[in-house]
Amino acid sequence: MVKRIIFLVFTLALILPLVLIGCGEEAPAAPQVLRANLAGEPSTIDPNRASWALERSVIMQCFQGLLEFNQDLTLKAVVAREIPTVGNGGISSDGMTYTFKLRTNVTWSDGEKVTAQDFEYSIKRLLDPDLACEYAGFYFDIVGGEDYFGAADQDAATKAQLRDAVGVKAKDDYTLEINIVRPRPTFLQIMALWCTYPVREDIIEAYGAQWTEPPHYIGNGPFVLTEWVHQDHMTFKVNEDYWGTKPKLSEIQYKMITDQNAELAAYMNNELDLARVPTGSEKTIMDDPVLSQEIVRYPELITFAFQFNVSKPPFDNKLLRQAISTAIDRVSFVDKVRNGVGAPAYSWIPPGMPGYDPELGLEYTFDVTKARQLLVQAGYSDVSKLPEIKFQYSDTAGNRLIAQFLQGQIQDNLGITITLEPMETKAFQELVNAELHNWAWFGWGADYPDPDNWLPELFGTGAGNNHTTYSNPEFDALADEALSELDNTKRLQLWAQAQEMVIDDCPIATMYYRERFWLAKPNVKDLLTTGMDGQLPGDMFFYETYLSE
Amino acid sequence: MSMAEDVVQTEAVRPHHTLWGDAFIRLRRNRLAVVGGVLVLLVALAAIFVPIFSPYGFAQQNLDAIREGPSWSHLFGTDELGRDVFTRLFAGARTSLMVGIFVQVIVIVIGLPIGAIAAYAGGRTDNLIMRFVDVMYAFPDILLIILIRAILGGSIYMIFLAIGLVAWVNVARLVRGQILSLKERDFATAARAMGAPGRYIVWRHLLPNSLGPIIVLITFGIPRAIFAEAALSYIGIGIKPPTPSWGTMIRDGYDLIFSAPHLVLFPAIALGILMLAFTFLGDGLRDALDPRLRR
Amino acid sequence: MLKYTVRRSFWIIIVLLAVAFITFSLMHLVPGGPWDREKTLPPQVVENLNIKYGLDKSFFEQFGNFLWGVLQGDLGLSYTYQDRDVTDIILQGLPKTAILGITAFLLAIIIGIPLGMAAALRQNSIIDYFSVFFSTLFASIPGFVLGIFLIILFSVTLHLLPTGGWGSPKQLIMPAFALGALPAAYIARITRASILEVSRQDYIRTARAKGLRERVVMFRHILRNALIPVLTIAGPELAFLIAGSFIIETLFSIPGIGRLFVQGVFQRDYGLIMGAILFYAFAVAIVNLIVDLLYAVVDPRIRYD
Repeated sequence: MVKRIIFLVFTLALILPLVLIGCGEEAPAAPQVLRANLAGEPSTIDPNRASWALERSVIMQCFQGLLEFNQDLTLKAVVAREIPTVGNGGISSDGMTYTFKLRTNVTWSDGEKVTAQDFEYSIKRLLDPDLACEYAGFYFDIVGGEDYFGAADQDAATKAQLRDAVGVKAKDDYTLEINIVRPRPTFLQIMALWCTYPVREDIIEAYGAQWTEPPHYIGNGPFVLTEWVHQDHMTFKVNEDYWGTKPKLSEIQYKMITDQNAELAAYMNNELDLARVPTGSEKTIMDDPVLSQEIVRYPELITFAFQFNVSKPPFDNKLLRQAISTAIDRVSFVDKVRNGVGAPAYSWIPPGMPGYDPELGLEYTFDVTKARQLLVQAGYSDVSKLPEIKFQYSDTAGNRLIAQFLQGQIQDNLGITITLEPMETKAFQELVNAELHNWAWFGWGADYPDPDNWLPELFGTGAGNNHTTYSNPEFDALADEALSELDNTKRLQLWAQAQEMVIDDCPIATMYYRERFWLAKPNVKDLLTTGMDGQLPGDMFFYETYLSE
Repeated sequence: MSMAEDVVQTEAVRPHHTLWGDAFIRLRRNRLAVVGGVLVLLVALAAIFVPIFSPYGFAQQNLDAIREGPSWSHLFGTDELGRDVFTRLFAGARTSLMVGIFVQVIVIVIGLPIGAIAAYAGGRTDNLIMRFVDVMYAFPDILLIILIRAILGGSIYMIFLAIGLVAWVNVARLVRGQILSLKERDFATAARAMGAPGRYIVWRHLLPNSLGPIIVLITFGIPRAIFAEAALSYIGIGIKPPTPSWGTMIRDGYDLIFSAPHLVLFPAIALGILMLAFTFLGDGLRDALDPRLRR
Repeated sequence: MLKYTVRRSFWIIIVLLAVAFITFSLMHLVPGGPWDREKTLPPQVVENLNIKYGLDKSFFEQFGNFLWGVLQGDLGLSYTYQDRDVTDIILQGLPKTAILGITAFLLAIIIGIPLGMAAALRQNSIIDYFSVFFSTLFASIPGFVLGIFLIILFSVTLHLLPTGGWGSPKQLIMPAFALGALPAAYIARITRASILEVSRQDYIRTARAKGLRERVVMFRHILRNALIPVLTIAGPELAFLIAGSFIIETLFSIPGIGRLFVQGVFQRDYGLIMGAILFYAFAVAIVNLIVDLLYAVVDPRIRYD
């Protein structure tokens, strides 16, 4: 009894704030200052070298590229005057030469003009072997790109030579020509990524690694980074020299709170305008009369799946993999464990981008009888004949949950006992990179919204992120064809075929498509979210966002 | 029974008591210590029997009863996979008690002799040992634990070992400090003068005299070890699920503190009670083992 | 004493070298390297990164380069925070962690010692039980749980304190308390045990028998001797607090070195780890030396020569 009372008191103490927040005094809205949480210190905010979501959240405010994405993830011309097409002469008829015409009124935050030379410098810098930029591999289709990047151990003269041979040339101040080695229908999307945004050669030469510290961090975007207190916060102010329409916000603050509960508490204490909701707590928020009005949720281009190592027994058996995929109750997971946040996934490419097929993979819909039949067909009418099945994962609270859910499902539905192997994160990643795992959990998010970012890199024979060791010559041939196919309809058909192949071979058991579940103060208006946002919802379009009274 | 009788009796036939036998008798007379001991025993018994007789398995999931608060069917509610928290709490007590106790065993087995030898031998031996201890100290626990775990592998015994191998330095330093200050005392000097061998002096005189602070350190070491295990699961090298431990339960519950606070509260309260029990027991032991209080 | 100090200082250098070498070896032994990412890096990128950070060189060459750098006061580049020197990162975080650690330590001493004394003086009284209860309570709550309770109470419910961050004294209150609570409890318990221990010594009885005033006995005789074990514990406790706490710094968003340090291990940021561990080892060694010297001050029977 006493314990129940203690429990009640503690629970009240915890629930009370959820209720009280509604009755709290209405704090006067600071004049157009958006307070968000970056949730960590960016590794680098150098556009060429950045690779993580939270780094992008910084770069998006301070830089703008030739092309960028609209909210519906179609391309738009930003610094480029128009999107190059064959029709407007921007793309040669063989699809191997791209010419970008630049706007002449684009300026840097110190007033200088942005020229084609800035882009040439940036893209060549991206391919500089000494910088070892993580996204360089995306640009190996550019003539000479791979050779230059591969020259790390060469002398300076050879590097300079290779650098000059890279197929990126500023024809004049406002014309940039890029030559690629093979037709690449998605090249323009790749050119819309943050790592090709222009950077200033004179600044980088002058300040070296220090150039990313304000006030040297000079960009051409709507905001300027005015303050970076490491590990603590960043402040952005409007770029007074901005060449486009001035943003409505006057200031953006990024805090660096890493703990999710602390972030939510800061939001409740009115220190933040945007906050994550810890996974699993969504229902409490939805049931709260006040907070439920502040929810921001939308699907992301991210799929989570279990990946089998198909060259190691017992998962070299396709029927066994299919049996397991059929024995997982994805709907219950999403609806019950995840409070309905996210969507069950049966195929690989997520909804919201080309290549998504709602009909694909429905044969893996949860069905215990069918799963058991598949198991028998796989040759395991007696499950005790199965070798020990290990499931490796990086030991975080979220992964622990999914691992135990999987273990429960396989035990209850197939009678198979799997051994869970929690590992320290880097040790796990090394194991997976070396393909020594049996079975692992992973997620993939879109770099750009096209199937060619989703299939060959993961299922092509020997591809960098192919950790299922899946190898199918037919798939490889299809992917190779699709990567250079300029007829878009045909191209998408090829990818559809390729995806069907993968789903049928079942090297992965897809689980769910992720959905973001955040809170935003009710006075935050025009938060334009996309499935490819960085760390923060709507961070690609903060220049549209404003705070109402 | 009158006091007088008691006195007469003890004076008449003073039974021969060993240090430990005597201590046990005195321990029994300390009411708080008895309460503590009984509590520890109860937790241990519950840890053995509750999971056996519970209608739920500690790993048994029920997706239709997720994150529910306490009710008659689930006394302490359910967790994020619909598992019964009551059952898991006592199954977790097994792990946590084992972690707490085995780590202290490792700590004592390594720390006590090293500290004692350093202090008693003195000179070059002391210097060498203490510099080694300095090196050990200079490593932050978390680094060493991660490294030891990553190198030794993932069984629960390796968790004991990893935590133990890091924690013994405290005991070693404390023992050394104690013995250093005791060994110049009259009784030790007297023993030495009478030609008692060093090992005997350390074992019979110096160690028993310094047991107080050591026992306090150990009773504190138990929850620290349990926390260390929780920290391990916090950073991603914890106990292999679905076996629960209080550390992992608290850690996993922490993520849901705004929506299901009972997931943190029950293991935290359980930990508090167990801690209190160990503290009472530790205090009782300290008094009981105090040679100056012997009859 | 001076000779002893000099000799110990010489030993500190040896200890630091040993620590550096062992850490360096262990970091390379542990599975998983800095470039093992969730999203696999292309082999060409890994190769270039290895060249950039000198990881393509032999083990001893790498260690040699590191030592050479240290001699020149350069701890190298961080692998995680790619544009920053390890020295910069540590020097920026250290004062914050140190201020927090010292505040927490003072809090622990101010609460712990009087509480322990009170408990010992009134053995088995309400104060004693309260002290036991208090110290047990704080010893049984993991830092992150205590921390979030404080945040929920003082920030979310009462709106009295900010949830975290760095800069104002207000922001220091909760983390210092959350960090200092466990050591305070610990010091209280050690103080109590130690005082009880000392009070039973013959020389205390003698002092009392001589008719010395209780206060004199307490402060000149008991406390002075009782502080020895407290010192043994307090020294490392201080070093531990100054090294920072990953959990407290994470929870309260304090830009100190505590969380950098753990991040460094997670990320296999060899540069950050080596730099941080040298600082840590140095701090611990110095504190231990001071504690050992203090022994001699507190306890005249201990002499160093």
